[in-house]
Amino acid sequence: MSINEAQVSTVDQEMKKQPRRRQLSDRSIVNLFIWPALLLLIAMNVFPLFYSLYLGFTDYSAIARQQPVWVGFQNFSRILNDEQLWKYFATTGRFALLSVGLQTLVGFGLAMLVNEKFKGSGLLTTLILIPMMISPVVVGLFWKLMYNPTFGFFNYLIGFTNPSTAPDWLASRFAGTPVPGMALWAVVIVDVWMWSPFVMLLVLSGLKAIPDYLYEAAAIDRASAWFQFWRITLPQVTPLLLIAVLFRTIEAFKAFDLIMGMTGGGPGDQTELISVNLYRQAFLGQWRTGRASALAYIILIIIIAISNLYIRYLNQMKGES
Amino acid sequence: MSNFREDGPGYPVTEASRVDKVSPISRRLRSLRAITVMVIAIIMLIPVFVMAITAFKSRSVIVSHPPTIFFKPSLEGFVFLFTDRAVVSKARQPEFKAAAETGELGLVERIALESGQEVTGPSDYVNRLKNSLIIAGLSTIFSVVLGLFAAYAFSRFDVLGKDDLLFFILSTRMLPAVVVTIPLFLMFRQLGLNDTHLGMILLYTVFNLSLAVWLLKGFIDEIPVEYEEAALVDGYSRIQTFFKIVLPQTMTGIAATTVFCLIFAWNEYAFALMLTSDNARTAPPSIATMLGRGGIEWSAIAAGSLGFLIPVVIVTFALRNYLLRGVTFGAVRK
Amino acid sequence: MATIELRQVEKKFGDLHAVKPLDLTIHDGEFVVLLGPSGCGKTTTLRMISGLETVTSGEIYLDERKVTWLNPSERDIAFVFQLFALYPHLTVRQNIAFPLQAQGESRETINERVNEVVDLLQIERLLNARPSKLSGGDQQRVALGRALVRRPEAFLMDEPLGALDADFRESMRAEIKRLHIDQHATTVYVTHDQVEAMAMGDRIVVMSEAEIQQVGSSNEVYYDPANIFVANFIGSPGMNLVSSSYSDGIIHMPGADNRYPVPDDWRAPLGEALQDSGDVIVGFRPECAEIVEDGTLAGNVYTVDLYGAYSMLAVNMNEQDIVHIRGDRLIHYPIGTQVRFDIDPEMVRFFDPATEKTIKREAIQ
Repeated sequence: MSINEAQVSTVDQEMKKQPRRRQLSDRSIVNLFIWPALLLLIAMNVFPLFYSLYLGFTDYSAIARQQPVWVGFQNFSRILNDEQLWKYFATTGRFALLSVGLQTLVGFGLAMLVNEKFKGSGLLTTLILIPMMISPVVVGLFWKLMYNPTFGFFNYLIGFTNPSTAPDWLASRFAGTPVPGMALWAVVIVDVWMWSPFVMLLVLSGLKAIPDYLYEAAAIDRASAWFQFWRITLPQVTPLLLIAVLFRTIEAFKAFDLIMGMTGGGPGDQTELISVNLYRQAFLGQWRTGRASALAYIILIIIIAISNLYIRYLNQMKGES
Repeated sequence: MSNFREDGPGYPVTEASRVDKVSPISRRLRSLRAITVMVIAIIMLIPVFVMAITAFKSRSVIVSHPPTIFFKPSLEGFVFLFTDRAVVSKARQPEFKAAAETGELGLVERIALESGQEVTGPSDYVNRLKNSLIIAGLSTIFSVVLGLFAAYAFSRFDVLGKDDLLFFILSTRMLPAVVVTIPLFLMFRQLGLNDTHLGMILLYTVFNLSLAVWLLKGFIDEIPVEYEEAALVDGYSRIQTFFKIVLPQTMTGIAATTVFCLIFAWNEYAFALMLTSDNARTAPPSIATMLGRGGIEWSAIAAGSLGFLIPVVIVTFALRNYLLRGVTFGAVRK
Repeated sequence: MATIELRQVEKKFGDLHAVKPLDLTIHDGEFVVLLGPSGCGKTTTLRMISGLETVTSGEIYLDERKVTWLNPSERDIAFVFQLFALYPHLTVRQNIAFPLQAQGESRETINERVNEVVDLLQIERLLNARPSKLSGGDQQRVALGRALVRRPEAFLMDEPLGALDADFRESMRAEIKRLHIDQHATTVYVTHDQVEAMAMGDRIVVMSEAEIQQVGSSNEVYYDPANIFVANFIGSPGMNLVSSSYSDGIIHMPGADNRYPVPDDWRAPLGEALQDSGDVIVGFRPECAEIVEDGTLAGNVYTVDLYGAYSMLAVNMNEQDIVHIRGDRLIHYPIGTQVRFDIDPEMVRFFDPATEKTIKREAIQ
């Protein structure tokens, strides 16, 4: 783009009208531009984080009239000794492992399939991306309807047409018999449906970035398609695949909306993920604000630890290539 | 051995292509691949399709077994979603029926009457949609404006500890909503911001700020700095350069960022659930609570879902070239 | 090693001819250079030989074996890419071993043959580095190593020096030439650099506009160009080409008194070709003319470029026609003054302006 003459002339006029207005120095522009955003982030993110760190060491309920009472590490030690909570952590871990694992496989497969262009591949790729953009709580609600044992589409589509012999996914029952874990699988299926496109999108961008000449060189070097996949395609997309897995793992530990829309943690506590339980402790029943803050910090530390592991591994890979 | 007959693939190849990519076998594989993708796409879109059609089913059609694809479309869900209704007593029913037949009743009233109800007024959901629009709209404007300034400064100047600051900004988006909400709830209570539009606008502004900074920085990074340097040499001030050179060239990026912020704020559920109850409550948590009232109002839920599905479909197509950046905060570009 | 034969090989991209039907035989152990400006079809030709590009029609033979529709991997040729095309995530050793691993060779064989190549190219010090850490020259050495380790029937090289800095080019050029002398492998080498082509090729195939213009040794394409394109393209500056008219043994060149008597052995062929009078293009290399006080031709000095060993004069024969003549580096030629010069009668060439082809001496005799 070039500066057109009209703009130049108005600037000239402005300059004549107000001879040598004092110009802002670059330094003050930087401050002026960055600080509003930073201040807002500090006020709404950093300060609350410190505040809740303090609350984590207190006995406090937001709906009680009492002020917070300092109790040291009591909240943390109680949480770490609470078998119930360990169970929720385990459920969360299982959910993360299953859904991220399956998303990676499905997403990778999808990316390999749509990587080579054919008529309509662009349209199909975009269509496949729709699920991940829908509000997770709406997705949850909707799949609740899909899973309904009498009038839901899901059972019908996978071949169970008689409600009395069909699985009731969200109640973890198969033809009336309890099958523990079924509800979690139902949630995993929805999560995979929703987020495999995300993995596909990232892997696809990785695949597109592999230069053609590498495959040409491999064809000349008499590498079979299989050999090309293992020795060129896979190593080349691994960094992006890892980014996808990192994002999804963090999100899996945050999973809240989907569960709330679909199961609310049930049946019983079979799909009670840790963030759902955190919400329950903080905002329902007795409002155990102090204890919930401590639990929030534990979750935070886990997320940070996982991200660090990934990032270190990623950097290591980058350093090698 | 080769995939070919002696004389080649049997058609003239007049484009750039490797020999092993035009073989009859690879051609067949390619069409097989196309069919596979088509089938997978259809399977993946079934829930979306079901969502769309269910919005036009009446309650009795929704709960019929087996589930149907072909049915008489009804606007019952929308009427249930947007109105409060009361049961018409037996005594008054004939009166209503007569009114319906003479055409005194509007479309909405007639649909309500089909399930024996009369409309008593607009539902809460109308307010909540309004809240959603106000909060998503204003917060998006703020995040994009603040984000644009910050992104420009990060893109064009040496800022002390730039990488750390940027990483900090990104990391705020990675926090689980519940973790920040507990202290925010207490802060908001002190400041009287709980369940207010202002509080939610502030919160969503911050929520989307990291996305806006990262996305916009990516877009500004791509504009060659020479244009600005030329303008500076020509006597423009930094601020003038920003408005006259950078801003017009970032328009596409700003548009994409705006749409992303809008859709994320529109879809947001957790903060709204925990920090609002009535006055400033947005649509997503109130759809979810429809599960409660006197049995599940599936037709209303389905109709409400449409308000989340349609924007998403439009946005997905409009932003298909920027989706990658949007969902990875600009960390991954092409 | 192998003979490569192209029979009426043609490539179209849509309606556009990238390569018009061409015939070419590359003999066993020969080093053939495909030379031409960008877009002339030389790289497409090379890629068709490799199988990286399909042919639209025609046949390709490798040692009598028809390979037209064989996959690149079935042709047993190695290809050296302009941008090296090394696998970025593999070390140098893994890169060189790649073709052998792809064939499922045993570990011992792989080690043995990789070491052989590494010794030959003297790249031990690079073995554990990744390609991105190497200089352009080293990357190309590794790419050569990856090609050599295969012991293929033929080597195809697509501007292998094109991405290198000027000072690397010279030494790599010598290395490749040396390798060819040692290995005596059939090699097809694509370049747009005529100096490189002349220095390296046993034979040069000059291409332009999707067609072969001339096939010949360095000397042939330089001194006996088949047509005006080759005369112009080869040499820096190219051959002087002066539009003139011929009648009765005298050529009237541009400028007032520039009458050039045709050398004796040219009279007959020129007379035959031009039917005693007509337009003709006179061609001569800058070093085939000499500035002498009593030269038959004259012009004004337009510019003088000093080249170190000699100086290059641009001489105005009239307003439009400028010829380049090599001059003595020690003599000062003031700009605008008149100089007289002679053309070496052995080295003058003639072209038919209508066909743009050279007029041959031998053909008539």
